[in-house]
Order: sequence, then C-alpha cells, then structure tokens
Amino acid sequence: MFALVGAGKPAPTKTQIADRKGWRPMPRERTKQNWEPKIIAFVCNWCTYVGADAAGTQRMRYAPNVRIIRLPCTGRIDPLFIVKAFEQGADGVIVSGCHPGDCHYVSGNLHARRRFTVFLKLMEFLGLDLHRLSFAWVSATEGAKWVQIVNEVTQQIRQIGPAHRWGEPMNGMRDEGWGMRETAVATEQAPSAPNPQWEARLRELARRLLENGEVGVVVGYATGSLGETTTPAFITKPEDADRLVFNQRCVNNLSVYLTNKMVTKLGKVGIVAKGCDVKSIVGLIQENQVNRGEVIIIGVVCNGVVVNGRLAKKCYACTVRVPHLYDHLVGDAKAPQQPVAKADPRDGEIAQLEQMTPPQRWNYWMAQFERCIRCYACRAVCPLCYCDPCVTDRSRPQWVLTSAHPQGNLAWNIVRAMHLAGRCIGCDECMRVCPFHIRLDLLNRKLATEIKTAFGYEPGIDPTVWPPLTTFRPDDKGEFIR
Amino acid sequence: MTRKLIDAENLGQWVNELIVSGRRVIAPVCENGMTVFKPISRAGAMPAPYNYGKTDLSFKEWLFPKTEPILHYRFDNGDVLLDDPEVEAVETVAFFLRPCDAAALSVLDEVFGRDYDDAFYTVRRRHLTVVGLSCIEPQPECFCPAVGLSPTSEKGSDILLTPLEGRFLVEALTEKGRLLVDEHANLFTDAHGLTKEQVTTQAMTKITRKEPLVGANGGSPYLPFDSEAWEDLARKCLGCGVCAYVCPTCHCFDIVDEATAFSGCRCRNWDSCAFSLFTLHASGHNPRPTQAHRYRQRVMHKFCYFLQTFGQNMCVGCGRCALRCPVNLDIYEVVRALTGR
Repeated sequence: MFALVGAGKPAPTKTQIADRKGWRPMPRERTKQNWEPKIIAFVCNWCTYVGADAAGTQRMRYAPNVRIIRLPCTGRIDPLFIVKAFEQGADGVIVSGCHPGDCHYVSGNLHARRRFTVFLKLMEFLGLDLHRLSFAWVSATEGAKWVQIVNEVTQQIRQIGPAHRWGEPMNGMRDEGWGMRETAVATEQAPSAPNPQWEARLRELARRLLENGEVGVVVGYATGSLGETTTPAFITKPEDADRLVFNQRCVNNLSVYLTNKMVTKLGKVGIVAKGCDVKSIVGLIQENQVNRGEVIIIGVVCNGVVVNGRLAKKCYACTVRVPHLYDHLVGDAKAPQQPVAKADPRDGEIAQLEQMTPPQRWNYWMAQFERCIRCYACRAVCPLCYCDPCVTDRSRPQWVLTSAHPQGNLAWNIVRAMHLAGRCIGCDECMRVCPFHIRLDLLNRKLATEIKTAFGYEPGIDPTVWPPLTTFRPDDKGEFIR
Repeated sequence: MTRKLIDAENLGQWVNELIVSGRRVIAPVCENGMTVFKPISRAGAMPAPYNYGKTDLSFKEWLFPKTEPILHYRFDNGDVLLDDPEVEAVETVAFFLRPCDAAALSVLDEVFGRDYDDAFYTVRRRHLTVVGLSCIEPQPECFCPAVGLSPTSEKGSDILLTPLEGRFLVEALTEKGRLLVDEHANLFTDAHGLTKEQVTTQAMTKITRKEPLVGANGGSPYLPFDSEAWEDLARKCLGCGVCAYVCPTCHCFDIVDEATAFSGCRCRNWDSCAFSLFTLHASGHNPRPTQAHRYRQRVMHKFCYFLQTFGQNMCVGCGRCALRCPVNLDIYEVVRALTGR
C-alpha cells in the first residue's frame, strides 16, 4: 500500500521540504486535554474475541479506547507483542483468552499463564506501572465481563494519564539510582588457589583422553595474554595438554563452545567444567542441544573465581563447588568448601531496588540500559543463547529494534531476560563481559527467584525435567488474571 | 609549532574560560565505575590527568554516534514528506584524548571525508579541536609502539599536553590549536626549550608490547590470507561486537528504517564484521561463513587493506579490544602468531 503513496503526484520541491524542517516523527505532544487512552488488547480467537463480539451483538456499550488484535490463542502471545505495543505508544495493554480448561488447543492458555506470571514480575521489577498491563480470562459468553474489564481498564488508565515515552526516564530524571550502593559483601577475600597438584592431574587426564582417542578436543583454560587472565584453549594433541591451567582465574563458562561448530568438528569434546558450568551443560542436554553421550565432562572442584580482583558474587552462596554431574572429577571431592556466605549479595541489591518506587526503579533501569551499545557480548557468551538466528537478528518483522537508542535497548534487554527466564543458571558471564556493567545479573537472579517461588524449579540440576516455561500445571497460580 | 607551559590551576582556568566562551568541552568523566567522554560544565568534573588509563569507550562516539537518525519521513495525504535531521554544529573542544584516540581521528577522517563528505561526521569534525594528553602510565593492554605510534605521539591532536613535574608542556600543533592557545595567552608561560623527550622514553619503557606489527613503520602490509592458522586462532571468537564497538577506528555501520504506519526514521547504527549477519546475503549465502572468516576480515582490514588504500595503519594500539574481549582474543598476539613470532 505504501509503495503507491505519492504516485502520480509531483515530488515535493526542495523548498517544500525545507519548509517542513523541524518536523519530528515523535507522537504529537499529548496533554491531558487532547488525550484519550489508547489501549491494545491481544485476545484469543476462540473465547475473548467471541465474547467481545457477543457484547456487540447484544448492543452493550463500552469505552471505545480499545483496539483489538485477534490471535489464535493466548499461548501465541509473545511478550514481545506487548513490548511492541508500548513502544509504539500504547497507554495500556490487555491480554485476554479462554478460562483454564477451556483452551481450544488444550493447554495454550496454561502455558501463557506461566509465561505472563514471569513477564509481569519482570515488568514490575523494571518499574512499569502495572495499571497499564492487564490480564483476563473472558469466555465466549462473557460479553458483560469484557465490557466491564474494558471500562475498568480505560478508567484506570485515564486516571494515571498518558504513558511517557517508552524506554526513557520519567519526569526528566536521569541516572537516578545508577549509583545504587552495592550491598556490602561478607568478605572481600580472594579465594585460595586450588592445590597445584590438581592442575597436574587435569593435564594428565587430558593427555590420556586425547591419547586414547576418547575425545578429539579438550576445551579448557590456558594462560591469557594480559596480566592475570586465562583464555579458552582447545587442546587437540596430547603433547599440548601442558598448556592447560586451572586456578581461581578460570572464569569463562566454556560450555558455550559445546554448540560451536568450529569446536565440535574437531571430534568428541572433553570439557573442563566448574559446578556452575555443569549447570549450563545440564540445560543444554535438557534442551536437546547436547547429547550427553557425546561430551566428556571433566568436572573441577572450584573454590570460587576472581572477577576484577574480587571473589565473584555468584560464588558467595555457591552450592556446587563439587560439580553434580561429571565423567571425571579433578579435585578433592571429599573436602568440599563451604559457601563463604549464607546469602547471595545480589539478593540484598534486589531488595534495595524493590524498596524503591516504580518510577525510581524504572529510571534506574533506563539509565542502565541507556549505556547499552548492542554489542551482544551478553548473548554471545551465554551458553543457553544458542538460537540461530536470534530473534533480534530477524528482520521480517523486526520485533526488536536494532538501534542502540532507549526503545531498542529496552526491547533487547527485556527479550534477553525473558528468553532466559527459567533457563539461566546464573553463571553471570553476561554481566562479566558487559562493557558497561549493566546489571544483567540482577535481572537474571530476580527472575530465577520468582520462578523458584512460583513453580518450585531450579535450573541446571536435573537434565530429565522440562524447563518451567515449556510446561504447566493445571493448578498453577494466576491471581493476576481477572 | 608553539611550545608553552601551563600549570594545573591555569589548565582548569583555561577549560573554564573555554566553557564560558560558549564552547562545548568534552572530557573524560568518571561515573558509575566507568570512565567515559562527556560534556562537562566545569573543570572539576575531569579526572586528574595522571590517574586515568584510558576511557572505556573511545572518543569516536562523539563524531560517529552508536545510533543516529539520518532521515525522517512521513506519509501525508498520499505524499511522502522527507526531512533532514539537523546536525549539531557546536564549537567543541575535546580534552585529554590519549594519543591513540587522537590518532584514531585521522583514520576516521580518511573514511568519512576522503572522496565523499559524510555530512554528519564532517560537520562535527570541522567544529572539533582536539587537546591530546600524553600517556605517562601505559596499561598492560597497550601496544601503540607496535603500530608506529608512541605514548606521546602527536598524530590527530591539535594541541598536545604532556605532564612535566606538576606542569604541562603545551604543544600547539595546528592552526586550530594555536588559536585556542593564543586566545588565552595569559594563562601560558614560556617553555624555555623544554621538550617531552624524557617523558616519551620513560613511558616507552613501561610498555611491554612493542614489537612492530605488520605494516608499522613503512613495512609491507602482508598477512597470509590463506593460512590455516586463522581457524585455530579464531576458534575461541564468540562473534560478539565488543571489539569493534570499543575500537576507536572501527567505523562500519548498518542502515535501518524504523517506522510505524504513518512515519519513520532512517537510522545509522554501529555494526561489526564479527556478526554473521554483517555479510549474509538475501539468498541465504554467506561469503564469510565461519567466525574464522569474520575474524580474518577484522585483522586483515586493520593491518593490510586499510594501509593499502589509505597509506596509514588502521590499528592505533590502544588494546581495548584485547581488554574487553570476553575470551581474551588478543589482536596483538594474533598478528604476531600469523607472522611467525
């Protein structure tokens, strides 16, 4: 349709174009006077859409502020749709579908219930005013309920006023909260170096595996080029096994290479894995990305790793110092180190954020995301971000704006967090590699905590169970749904 | 060249006077645990010149932002209306660029201004005066001598400041720089023949990575394109864009349209040759199918192609890519390995 726009008419002259200088594609400044709430409703085809239709055929009257978008099922409603609606200027969003048990496709709405439980928690944590986001079950006969919901939501949004520009700080406040004090951590000590005999044992084991032909490549750590760093190493010859090191600077989660074709083409992979890395290997097995029989896990007992000269935050309350799944173990399994602290220091930081008002929290996160340069290092380094292509790289349609502006950055950071919800095992690699220290670890941990509370699930432990957002229970809670 | 001296107090005074005169002053600012270039409103916001290594992001974002609208359009009654965004033409003085970051500007100048004037870049560049600051504490990742520069090199700076025992040697290297010094002549004293040679020598001894890389100092720009070593060297590359985005000279960009049904904006965004999408054809064919091909492109472009085209090395040896790389893929080590060292 747009290809034909302007056909047959003379192109605007240079003066005409110049006259229009100063025009911006931003939505017109909306004031309380000229503003009417604009609400997008994503509804399922079989229940709510029919319910809304029933309201119409019964000549019921309700607020004209809702634009309905019909989809086959609430199970088809990706949180990205909601993000897109807000991004394009919606003041509110309603998601509505069949009551539990009524789904035309048996369980689409039950999957959706879990997904939106998590999405709502994420948006609450980011500081969105939750009055703008409503969920409902409306059946085909409940025209009156639909009318009531639309009227209520419209009224509610009319009261709180127009949505401010998506992705940008409210009230012109900037940077508020970026400087949130990091919770004082129990100890600042660096972890003790592992006994050097284990490093020798690791080399010996790698040499043997390569000599026997049990593996084609051992993925481990070697000394890095800058100061006290390590770097991933791919050992294919037994005589190179002495390049392997293991110490408290072995930070990288090497399991990201298990889905890398340039590595797997070298043959069966033997991988050096700390307890947290094993968790992500479990995730990859669970999601059929790695075949348990085709990887040799060389578990290493870990005393904690050092990031920026300090014990990494993920290590404080670590419970997998001795890996829980391995083919070979290097280190003393009988003398596991106790966690250095009872609580994870991030929980204190999350609590601090939760005590803020939603606008303060929103501004905190928008200031964080503002610095994002979209290098996608967080995605590249994540073992569980294996999609090819990533939804961000798909351009028809472009769900996630690729520009590093506030709207694009917010969309990207929401989709990253959502796609890892229930899957992220908390290795904190994304946080470590972010050139601007965006607190991705807080987002990940917050969602992990919510998922544990809601569904009693902890990722990375049992490779035989289903990840929580790919399944459901009929008795899952859903109080947020009207 | 004009040589002068200025003490720390007068330096602050100079910055303040420049701000008062209506210029925008951009300088390294420490915030939220990072050092970044930002416009400042008074001299106090600057870190002490001695104690910062280099900024987390290079200066390039002020000439070539990470995202920038280059065109607005809207549909109106069957017409398509176009509107050029205005490019801010503010007289700007950038303070305390490290010599590597300053040298990078002359690389960007070639790309954005040689045969076609990129309006967005050149307008900002024309209004920019660069006050460089010699490095006295090079960092472990630095390797500027390996690409023919030094901790005190003058390339790209209009004025170069070199710390000399509590004072600064001020070298006005260009006409632009001289004007800025002359305008505030009362703040400067005579240099009495002082030079920065000793500072250079001292700083050089602190750099461990200074073995000349290919193409440095007029050498032949040759790297083995067909070598099988590329695959082994690049195997750990994860394909993120962090090296290109922190690089002061990487300048590739992507053009995208962001639109609603009524209006839209054409944006120019940073892009990186490390992404598989960078060269992916509509047909599905990708001429650089693996990360080894993509990483080779990055290295060859820096050390061979650019030199062949523009006669200067594209890498300025700041080492940010090596420092920020999630897997410590270090371009200095890679080039050395490729040339058999």
